[in-house]
Amino acid sequence: MHPLDLAVIISYLALITFVGIKLSSKVKNAHDFFLAGRSLTWWVIGLSIIGTNIDTNSYVGASGNAYNVGIAQANFEWIGAIPAMIIASLIFIPLYWRAGVYSIPEYLGLRYNQGVRVVAALIASVFAVFALGVAMWALALTLETYLGWPIWVGILVSGTVVGLYSIAGGLAAVAITDSIQVSIMFLCGIIIVGIGISDAGGFSAFATTLTQDNPTHLQAYLPADDEGFPWPGVILGLGFVLSPAYWIGSQAILQRTLGARTQWDASASMMFAALAKTFIPLLVVFPGILALVMKADIDYPDMALPWVIKNVLPPGISGLMFVAIIAALQSSIDSGVNSTSLMITRDIRHVLMKNHNPANDLKVGRYLTLILLLSSMCIAPFIGDLGGIFTFLQTILSLFQGPMLALLLLGAMTQRATPMAGLWTLVTGVLVSAILLIMLEWNLLYVAFVSFCYSMVTLWTVSGFTEKLSDEKLATLTYRPWSRT
Amino acid sequence: MIDLPVAWANYISMGIFIFLGGLVWIVPKKAILAGQPETDRWRDLRIWAMVLIGLQLTIYWIFS
Repeated sequence: MHPLDLAVIISYLALITFVGIKLSSKVKNAHDFFLAGRSLTWWVIGLSIIGTNIDTNSYVGASGNAYNVGIAQANFEWIGAIPAMIIASLIFIPLYWRAGVYSIPEYLGLRYNQGVRVVAALIASVFAVFALGVAMWALALTLETYLGWPIWVGILVSGTVVGLYSIAGGLAAVAITDSIQVSIMFLCGIIIVGIGISDAGGFSAFATTLTQDNPTHLQAYLPADDEGFPWPGVILGLGFVLSPAYWIGSQAILQRTLGARTQWDASASMMFAALAKTFIPLLVVFPGILALVMKADIDYPDMALPWVIKNVLPPGISGLMFVAIIAALQSSIDSGVNSTSLMITRDIRHVLMKNHNPANDLKVGRYLTLILLLSSMCIAPFIGDLGGIFTFLQTILSLFQGPMLALLLLGAMTQRATPMAGLWTLVTGVLVSAILLIMLEWNLLYVAFVSFCYSMVTLWTVSGFTEKLSDEKLATLTYRPWSRT
Repeated sequence: MIDLPVAWANYISMGIFIFLGGLVWIVPKKAILAGQPETDRWRDLRIWAMVLIGLQLTIYWIFS
């Protein structure tokens, strides 16, 4: 590694740690720790949302997929994100923010019942522990590949740096370090695009070279009979169900919007994140396509990004790009530990432990952050052996997406949905998903769509003959902007 | 639907964005500004949404 690259990496780690610890003096209670004392501005939250959203899979995996399928990979950032982000910004985020909740499970608990709250928090928390382990493993693997550090050194250093600022500074430290990390990612993305297109002789030459051997690589969609991303599945499953379920229901994503200083800042942050998201393919898709245009000598598609870093970028900038990958991973880990710690502290502990003391939330939250971080560090070296379990958990999580989206949509947009119908829909909706996915072996995208349709119909129907919440409660928990104007 | 050419996926995506563009204007301005000064026109998030939708329409038109 070039000394200039090493200097860039060390400076970055020092800056992130300093900023995070500096912010720790502002944390006085759980409200400060989990919601940054509701002090965050729209652009900080917006960048933090993007930092949380981009992980290793986005960087290495998406570049590899783009090498194979071309621009169609970008649908995850466009039709698979933007409509849901606009709806989240204008409807759901104002609702959550006004309800004064700390988490999405807490909203579900108020709108339906505490059973739904605990189930939602429990599933998300168990999955998060393994997802954190995967992210930690990927981070250590990246450090091993580029710096030659043994895996255990990489885990120890990464865990310590993330732990220092996320345990000390809470959500404020996480959000502000995320925004620095995302700025670095975009800077690197712009540089790669500039150098890549310039080396190829301009955009027209770039496009001509690409489509000569790969005629479909500049088409946004793949045919309906494609096994991985059939276009009807992408629009119906990803665009209509998985994407809205993520952008209006993911605690890690939405927690920073709940920490906004005003309702407008909360809404604007998601709209700003959507603007940034539009250009994410420059960071995560373009390197894969560039490797193809430059006829990279690689053994498998996931090597596309490392090849670009090594062969296209000059010293100093390649160090910065390496920092961008570390940053992507760190921002996912810090957000994951903070949001999971919140769900266990409040959504599980507050409901299941009747004699809990809310004054201890800050202390419990910090201990849990440490425990979650240590757990992910312990799991990380064995993640290869646990791959089957992780895939199983991913499948379990996907079973909940359709029913959960139906609960959030009808719960927020109508006064009809009742607590009993919510619980019934969640249980039977997951069963329907399980039958379609495991027994009938449908494509996940189609399972998501059908289970969502089933859940909407069930929730609507069962609500017709079960008892609803009082009008007073519904006034703050449903979206009724016209009644306030 | 499965027999439709791939280009139709782009047209459907563009249709979704145009429909969303119309829906956005149903949300009252007061609900969006939520106490912010009404004179600050740049704070109207419906205009931000229009910019985003315009970008998406351009993208799906170019890559059709």
